Amino acid sequence: MSTLFETIRSFEYWPEIGDGTVDTLTMTGLSLTFTVLIGLPVGVALFLSGPSQRSERRVTARLQSWTYNALSILVNILRSLPFLILLILMIPTTRWIVGTSLGVAGSIPPLVVAAAPFFARLVENLLREVDRGVFEAFRAMGATTRQTVLWAMLPETFPGLVAAITVTAIALIGYSAMSGVIGGGGLGDLAVRYGYQRFNVPVMVITVAILIVLVQLVQALGDRWVARLSHQH
Amino acid sequence: MIETRGVGKTYYSPTAEFQALQDVDIQVSAGEVFGIIGRSGAGKSTLLRTLNLLERPTTGRVLIEGADVTDLDGEPLRRLRQRIGIIFQHFNLLKSRTVHENVRLPLRVSGQLDRAAQDQRVAELLELVGLTRNARKFPHQLSGGERQRVGIARALANRPQILLCDEATSALDPETTQSILELLLEINRKLNLTIVLITHGMDVIRTVADRVAILDHGRVVESGTVVEVFLNPRHEVTRSLLAQSGVESDTATALTPDDSPVVRLTYHGPGSEQALLSRLTRESGLDFAILEASVGHLKAIPYGRFTVRLPPAARDRLPAMLHLAEQIGIRHEILR
Repeated sequence: MSTLFETIRSFEYWPEIGDGTVDTLTMTGLSLTFTVLIGLPVGVALFLSGPSQRSERRVTARLQSWTYNALSILVNILRSLPFLILLILMIPTTRWIVGTSLGVAGSIPPLVVAAAPFFARLVENLLREVDRGVFEAFRAMGATTRQTVLWAMLPETFPGLVAAITVTAIALIGYSAMSGVIGGGGLGDLAVRYGYQRFNVPVMVITVAILIVLVQLVQALGDRWVARLSHQH
Repeated sequence: MIETRGVGKTYYSPTAEFQALQDVDIQVSAGEVFGIIGRSGAGKSTLLRTLNLLERPTTGRVLIEGADVTDLDGEPLRRLRQRIGIIFQHFNLLKSRTVHENVRLPLRVSGQLDRAAQDQRVAELLELVGLTRNARKFPHQLSGGERQRVGIARALANRPQILLCDEATSALDPETTQSILELLLEINRKLNLTIVLITHGMDVIRTVADRVAILDHGRVVESGTVVEVFLNPRHEVTRSLLAQSGVESDTATALTPDDSPVVRLTYHGPGSEQALLSRLTRESGLDFAILEASVGHLKAIPYGRFTVRLPPAARDRLPAMLHLAEQIGIRHEILR
């Protein structure tokens, strides 16, 4: 009669689960980085061309309106595609970008394309919440748009941005698990291969447990960071 | 220093148009405090914003120090705005930045000083507004009055010659309002700063302004020195604004329905410290009852304003008394 500890230790799938966890973390981390790098400027662009920031000059206002509509439609299209469909649709593009549509590398482009529009909208909404008086004060100071973005918009929304990044990170953990379906690697891949295709319940349960812990961890870290920022002001 | 010529502003919406300002001419001289007062919706805020082109006039011209700035754009407009400070009703500070950082912002924007010089300038400004000890605090840790002081320090950072005040005390309690107004007067004197302020409160005007323009439905209906406008208001809007601050109310004649003469006597300026009224009574030999009175100072100018009733029998001796009043520096208006 072996002890529970020995049973757990002799469980033959630990190495694979370990690799899967590392893969999931890598996918989430890398795709989150690119999502923020792309989504943040797009969100700022959406806000700057949006209805609240229209120029008094007719030509500029028209340019803003076109930019806004183009970006907004693109964002909406990407957000309306179910992730699984996007994953499949993007296979040729993914191959072209990273050379493969499989594994960790292959899942990053679709993850970014799915999450960046979502994050951009979050950023746009955060900026809309900023007191318009602050922007007016900057205009009256003679600040450039660049100065206003860097010194007013980003600092004023920073706690909100951290919260938005947390939400996006959690969404990405979920999406990355889904990419397992088409051989994306990571914990989702494990759950599909062992749990779904081979009825290996322990592997599936452990995988799900790890995902739950990851999400809780990310949320807790995000919350703590936001709380610390909010204490300052 | 500041001049508007026929400034008008019309807002267009798909269904309607709204004339916020029509044909506004104001001239503000260097170093004076110029007040613009009106009811809400009269267009005061729009007018103030045309001065630094936060609102661009639809018609007319805006001149700053003799230069037509109406069509400035881009870099020249930004440089102009750096020379005009503005403070707001709701302060519009960055809540994520300390007092020190908020005040430093205009210096970063104009980029003329290095970091050390910026920090030193901020220290000077905080000293000026009395907030040296709060430099490391965040705006939410300050009271409303302190926040407005931060706003003032920020507005003065680039040493502007002009300060615009957009309802700067309307969100503050009376006591704090008074201290902010005193600060504005102090910097007006110390820095020889030209101040344009808008308000809906006559008390603000009479504490700080040298001259005043009354705005109604987008037009200037009356303007002049504060003393002139206060003691001899001509327009109905002016009278009602004065009534709200307790200076003017024309109920006196209604309260005493008989045929005894009722006269309004006003005086202001040097000489007001003398016992003018008692001298008038003594020398004219006429006694009168004071129905209404307002005595005090308009900024630094002493004034008095009385509505008096004379005995019915005094009607024929009235011209002589009024002549005497004229001689000792009391102006009059026969109400009945």
